[in-house]
Amino acid sequence: MLSRRTLLLAAGTASVATAAAAAGDVAVERSRDVEPAAPPQTDARGNLLWRNWSGIQTAYPAQRAAPESEEALAALVKGAPAPIRAVGAGHSFTGLVPTPGTLVSLDNLAGITSHDDGALRATVRTGTRLGALGEALAGIGQEMFAQPDINKQSLGGALGTGTHGTGAMQPALHGGVISFRLVTANGDIVTASADQNADIFHAARVGLGAFGIITEVTLQNRKLSRIRKQLVLRPTQDVLDDWPALKAAHRTAEIYIIPFTGTSAVITSDPSSDPVQPRGPDAENQAVLDLKYLRDVLGPIPALRRIAAKLALATNPPQIAVDDGWKLLSNERPLRFNEMEYHLPAETQIEAAREILAVVEAKRPDVFFPFELRCIAADESWLSPFYQRASGSVAVHAYYQNDYGFLFELVEPILRRHGGRPHWGKLNSLRAADFAALYPRFRDAMQVRQQLDPGQKFLNAYLKEVVLS
Amino acid sequence: MVKRPIASCAVLCAVFGLAGCKRAPSARAEPPEVVAARAASMLPHDARLAGLYRASCQNCHGNPQSGAPPAGYHAAWDPRWSQGLPVLLSHTIGGYNGMPAGGQCFACTQDDYRALIRFMAGAPADAH
Repeated sequence: MLSRRTLLLAAGTASVATAAAAAGDVAVERSRDVEPAAPPQTDARGNLLWRNWSGIQTAYPAQRAAPESEEALAALVKGAPAPIRAVGAGHSFTGLVPTPGTLVSLDNLAGITSHDDGALRATVRTGTRLGALGEALAGIGQEMFAQPDINKQSLGGALGTGTHGTGAMQPALHGGVISFRLVTANGDIVTASADQNADIFHAARVGLGAFGIITEVTLQNRKLSRIRKQLVLRPTQDVLDDWPALKAAHRTAEIYIIPFTGTSAVITSDPSSDPVQPRGPDAENQAVLDLKYLRDVLGPIPALRRIAAKLALATNPPQIAVDDGWKLLSNERPLRFNEMEYHLPAETQIEAAREILAVVEAKRPDVFFPFELRCIAADESWLSPFYQRASGSVAVHAYYQNDYGFLFELVEPILRRHGGRPHWGKLNSLRAADFAALYPRFRDAMQVRQQLDPGQKFLNAYLKEVVLS
Repeated sequence: MVKRPIASCAVLCAVFGLAGCKRAPSARAEPPEVVAARAASMLPHDARLAGLYRASCQNCHGNPQSGAPPAGYHAAWDPRWSQGLPVLLSHTIGGYNGMPAGGQCFACTQDDYRALIRFMAGAPADAH
């Protein structure tokens, strides 16, 4: 994204200009990086610690299981201590996973079980990690319509939380699910599609693991395609003005607003027959570290930070890569963070983003992660944040060693005021009554859930607050 | 693991011209393509452990682009191994820098973690 060399040069220039005053001693308290204290490895009963990717959710499950077949999972569910929660890669920031009962990994239920070349469909076990899925689908000449930003999640976790890619005409991952198999609380295995157990299909396709455990899905894919991906840096205000045109012009489009710089990165991609031009060594994570460096040194003086970044970013040419989509659109993202993301009506997305940018730049000079703006087509899943609504997402991140309270204090009120529905796996303060107001079929979905799980076997403490009104 | 300490050193060297920031040369440093090829192909001999490794650890430790120390790369692993297996186990279970808690392997037991750390560090199976 940024040229490290030029960024350093600019930072160095600016540092000299401000002399020692800007060289770290005046760093604001909130910008200090503090490794979160590690909880004990085991609890008093000897149960091993589970912790999510960013480190803010913890649990000591009494039982862990990794069944090697659907039948074994069904048998487990019948008798295992509740709450029973399935876990993928632990990428959710909300309390979906923590359980004192049973933690179920689906890592042993992975891979493609069958496929249909003519219909471009593949049946996939939900323990499959997205990075592996892209490669496996490419092996049969297929790809998913949507590619999420991070490639580490399990398919089951991604589907269960409404995870998405970007593209005005592209629904989220669950939009490609045409049927699934669900292990229910009593150990039954239910197949659901638009034609079979349709209510379960619509209610549980984005199901939070609250309806049971989905073991296998059949995905409607498309033919594997080569794309040309381009990243350009442009003035933020211009990019925000152009967003409707960008969305309409490209298969995928997204904006990374770089706070305190006046600059945004625009990433677009389209089908291409150009020769392969691999993405090369990852520069984006280093670029974020460079932004952090600017924050560390110049954070207390936003005007200077803007000048330094402007100098650095002025010389960056567009970055272009040509390859299979799954290789270019999902990323490693080794820098850990906490994140809030809401999905707004498409027409309010940009206004909300402008307000968030203004308030963060006015009040939180410790923020350095870019804000991410994406677009997602509507779908018909009852608990989908995109239910019958073309959406624009706004995601704000906080480095995992930094305070993330501003997401709730400053960012969430703006996102809610603009009609946002939160990503199910990302930070939000909403509870059942809030969701009931945001989702027209929420109560219908909860009725289906209650029929499938009358004993609340799949509800942990967090989910009880989310689904029980 | 994230490269933050190294990056910070490089940043300070570049901007402020600090002396003494050079990393100590390692006798075991290897060309990146060699490191990447080995990391991508290494698998534990034990089938069960290999399954756990493929599902979780390999996603990062099999790909130097991830920022994690590549499996089998002594130049990256030796300084870590010198801290002792209990420290590495603690970082694995609780998370540390870029290393997510549990290594995203939630089917792993503590013994599995120990064996996988030894495997990636190129340490003997009974080392601790």
